[in-house]
Parts: sequence; C-alpha cells; structure tokens
Amino acid sequence: MQMMSNLKQGSPASGSWRTQFYLSRNTKIAIGFLLPSIVLLAAIILFPIGYSLALTFQSYSLVIPGKTGQWAGFENYLKFLGDKAFWAALGRVGLFTLLAVSFEVVIGVAFAYLLNAIRFGRRLLTSLLLIPTILTPVVIGLMFNLIFNAQFGLFNYLLKLAGIQITDGILNNPSTAFAALVAIDVWEWMPFIALIMLAGMQAIPEQPIEAAQIDGANGWQIFWQVMMPMLRPVLIVAILFRAAEAIREFDKVYILTGGGPGTATEVADLYLYRVSFSNWDLSYGATLGMVMFTLAMVVAVLYFFITVKRGEEQR
Amino acid sequence: MIVIKRRDVRNGLIFSIALIILLLMLVPYLWLALTAVKNRVDIFSIPPKFFITPSWENFHVAFVEKGFLQSLRNSIIVALSSTLITLFAGVPAAYSLTRFSTRGNNLYLFFLLAARLLPGIVLAVPLFILFSKARLINNYSAVVLSHITFNLPFAVWMMRSFFLEVPIALDEAATMDGCTPFATFTKIILPLVKGGLVATGIFCLINSWNEFLLALILTGRETATMPVAIPGLMTPLGTFWGQIAAVGTVTTLPVIIFALIVQKHIVQGMTGGAIQGE
Repeated sequence: MQMMSNLKQGSPASGSWRTQFYLSRNTKIAIGFLLPSIVLLAAIILFPIGYSLALTFQSYSLVIPGKTGQWAGFENYLKFLGDKAFWAALGRVGLFTLLAVSFEVVIGVAFAYLLNAIRFGRRLLTSLLLIPTILTPVVIGLMFNLIFNAQFGLFNYLLKLAGIQITDGILNNPSTAFAALVAIDVWEWMPFIALIMLAGMQAIPEQPIEAAQIDGANGWQIFWQVMMPMLRPVLIVAILFRAAEAIREFDKVYILTGGGPGTATEVADLYLYRVSFSNWDLSYGATLGMVMFTLAMVVAVLYFFITVKRGEEQR
Repeated sequence: MIVIKRRDVRNGLIFSIALIILLLMLVPYLWLALTAVKNRVDIFSIPPKFFITPSWENFHVAFVEKGFLQSLRNSIIVALSSTLITLFAGVPAAYSLTRFSTRGNNLYLFFLLAARLLPGIVLAVPLFILFSKARLINNYSAVVLSHITFNLPFAVWMMRSFFLEVPIALDEAATMDGCTPFATFTKIILPLVKGGLVATGIFCLINSWNEFLLALILTGRETATMPVAIPGLMTPLGTFWGQIAAVGTVTTLPVIIFALIVQKHIVQGMTGGAIQGE
C-alpha cells in the first residue's frame, strides 16, 4: 500500500521498470482488462439512460395512440413539478426510509453489542441472523401477507390471545399498513446493520477498551466514548447503503398492499411503475426516473467520498 | 469435577437471550414453511394449527400441475447466465483497477458505484422500450442483460476488495519470470482469490435469483422467474396460500443454503466490499 502512493508521486526510489510496471500508468494493458465490462455497461446502462433522457423531452407511449415520440419540450418536467401524487409518494418513501433505517440502526447496533459480548457459539447466531436479509423480497411480502391476513392470520390470532381484539386486518387500515411496512423492513434489514456493526466491533482493538476499564469507565461509557467513535465510519457506510436501498422500495409494497389502502403505502418507485406500466405514459415515467436517478447520484457521491477517500487516507 | 466459570455462565445467558430473540424473529418464516405442508383445511383453521400431519399436496399441485417447475428452471437459467457473464467481464476489470493506474480508475469506480445504487425502475423504462423494439421481451437475454446491470458493478467492487489483499509483489515476481500480464492474472493471482471468486459468484446468483421488478417487466409467461410467477397464485378467485407457501419455501431454501456457504464473506458481500467481515 505504501508503494502505491510512492509510485503515484512518481518517486524515483521505486526501482527498475519491472516494479514500476504494476500500479504505474499502463493504460494499454488496463484497457484490455477493462474493455469487456466497459462495452457491456455502455450498452446496458449508459445507452439506456441516455435514451431515457431523450425520452423525457418527448411524448411517448408504446400503447396510447398518438404518442409516438413527438417533441414535447419541457412539458414532462413541468408536469412533474406540479404532480402532487408524485411528491406525496416521494415524501412517503422519505418517511419510510427515515423511520425504517432509524429503527434498524438502533436495534441493529444493540443486537450487535449483544452478539459481541458472546465468546463462543456466535457462528450459529449469525447464521440465523442473516436469514431475513437474504430472503427473496417477494417471498417476504407474501409471507407477511399470510401472517397479517384478517381472517386466519397468525398475527391477529396472537393479538386476540393477548386480549387485543381487532376486527380488520392491519394491512386494511392506512396508518397500520404503513407501520406494518416499516416493521417488515426493520425485520428484514436490522440484521444487515447488526452484522456490519458486529464486524466493526470485532475489529476494535482490545487495548483502548481495557484501558478505559482500568480507568473505571462503565459499560455504557465504554460503548459511547470508546467504541462508537471507532465504529462511526462503518456505521455511516451502512446507513448510506441502507438509505439507498430503502428509497427504492418496491417489491414488498407491490406484493403486500399494492400501495393501498388508498395511497397510504404508495412509495415513489411504485408510483413510477404505475405511471409507466399501468398508464403507459413511458416518457413521463422516464422523466420521474431522472428525478430518482438524481437522488441516487447524491447518495452515490456521498458514499464514494466517504469510502474511497477514507481508504486513501488509510494508505 | 466440572468447574463452571462465571464467564461461561454469562456467555451462556447472553447466548440464550440472543437465540430466543432470533428464533422468535424467524417465526414468520417457519410459519410459511409449516403452511407449505398443511392441507387446505388446516391452513384456514381458527385458531391456527401448529401440529399437523405434513402433506406434500401443495408442492405437487404447484410444481407438477401448475408449471412452477418451468419457473424454477427459468430462475436457474437467468441466475447462472447473468452470473457467468458478470464474472467474465467483471473479474478482469476488478483486477485491472487494483493493478494498473489509469487516469480513469476513480471515475470508473464511481460510475460502477452509481450504477449499483441506481433504482431498478430508472432502467426499467428504457430497457423495456429497447427490448420491445428488438422483440426480446419474454426472451431470456432481456432479463439476463438487465440483471447484469446490477451484478456487474457489484462484482467489480467486491472482487476489487479481494484483489487488494493480494500483494503486488507477486505480480511483479511473475512478470520478472516472463509471465504476460494476462497469464499473471489467470495463472498466478486468480487462484489466490478463489474463495473470493466463489463468494462473489454466489452473491451474484442470489441477487439475480431474488430480483423482481426488472424480471416482472421483461419476462413473459414462458420465461417468468420464481419471484414473478409466485404472485400469479393470488387470483381474483382466491389466493392459493398453500401453494404460495410451498413455492416460497422452495425459492428461499437454496438462497439460505448458499448464503450459509459464504457466511464468512457476508458483510463484504452485503456492502459490495466496502466493509471487510470478521
């Protein structure tokens, strides 16, 4: 790693041409290795996004007659600015992301702390812990649909055992449906935060913690004043990653509520899906896609500067 | 005489608490698996039944009579193809990014990251139009290519983290012994990251296997993958919960098994190499 920075500065101390061969500018060979991926990504990501951008200035639908790609200027963008349903869906997914990620962080960090205190048998626990995170999201949606079923669902039955009688399924009521969606996301992704934070905690050296213990710090103080400052970079990466995923929530909502009841759980990506593939207004769908694209870019820039810049500092 | 240390008691206590929490968390999934082996009457019984004689009827109806075997085959074809193409294009790219410094390295890494964080719906519209025009909707190639859009950026980032762990001195030694850059890559370095390669491949398979939105838009009746086919069991006439549970269990079991195989790399996999695991 040290050598890398030396070579970047063109240090003469880096030896013969052979040692300079790697890590020095060797564009021709690099292109040979990179080319297949560049060609592929240009074809399936760059070109489609460029195509989509061109589409935003047109009136295009594969289905609706008369919308065959006429020049529409900024019509789609003006429509987007005044589209209350879209802004509402964006606000909804924003709230969903904020709530879900907050709970995931609090519970996930607490659970990681619990697992970190275990000295043997941890492997079994982490095996169980990772299951919710890797399950197929569509199956998670269906699974909770079954659990929350108003007539024969396990959830209503357990509520009844606990003395709480509800006449309707919780997915049929706007506020409880939204809460259920958040809860399911926490169920699915709390383990993600927990596993990452556990890995972070394992990497903390023993000495500072022992030193704090000798100085008479209690567990709470050690956690907040010794461990957390060291875990912060890892936590930030995990949060950004989670936020980028939560903001594009689609699968579970599509299966669980279809955005309902009413529009209570209609998140941004579901609204975009409706515009594009139910109303077949593809050029407008592309326009809203550009908005989501911009949001994703903001997260990507933050993420990139935090991870890559941090990595370079460490070198 | 067995000496029980206080530390062991404490460990056992915390272990038990964590285990109970986790088992409670997994109740919904266990409930799904239990529903899969219930008969039609038991599924709808109130109060819910916990002890039943297992029946394989749901599996038979779904896979043999309703054609879910075909969806299973589709999922396997799509996941394998997209993973193989991803690795062929992505692994050399990841190697290059850790070995050769070009002006565009950071730019390319950023592009790949942006691609990975890109919501599927953003690509869904243009890909749908382009594949429609090429008459490739309901053809495996459409959904396979669409899955490469997220798998390739993921694989490059993940493999990059494995290549970074291999000292560059090895490449230099190989070059001095007369290896070409390509031979150095395939014969010297690649065998050293075998574990990472397998882990990356498995994560790619899981990503593709679990993907819903792009497959929903780009496949048809004959090419539908499992996530796309399962909601078809929710019909206006009624929902076939037993079959949904059966198919859902079959869809998720391989994912769990594969994830456990690469458990060592799970943190690296989930963050695309940004954070190293234990």
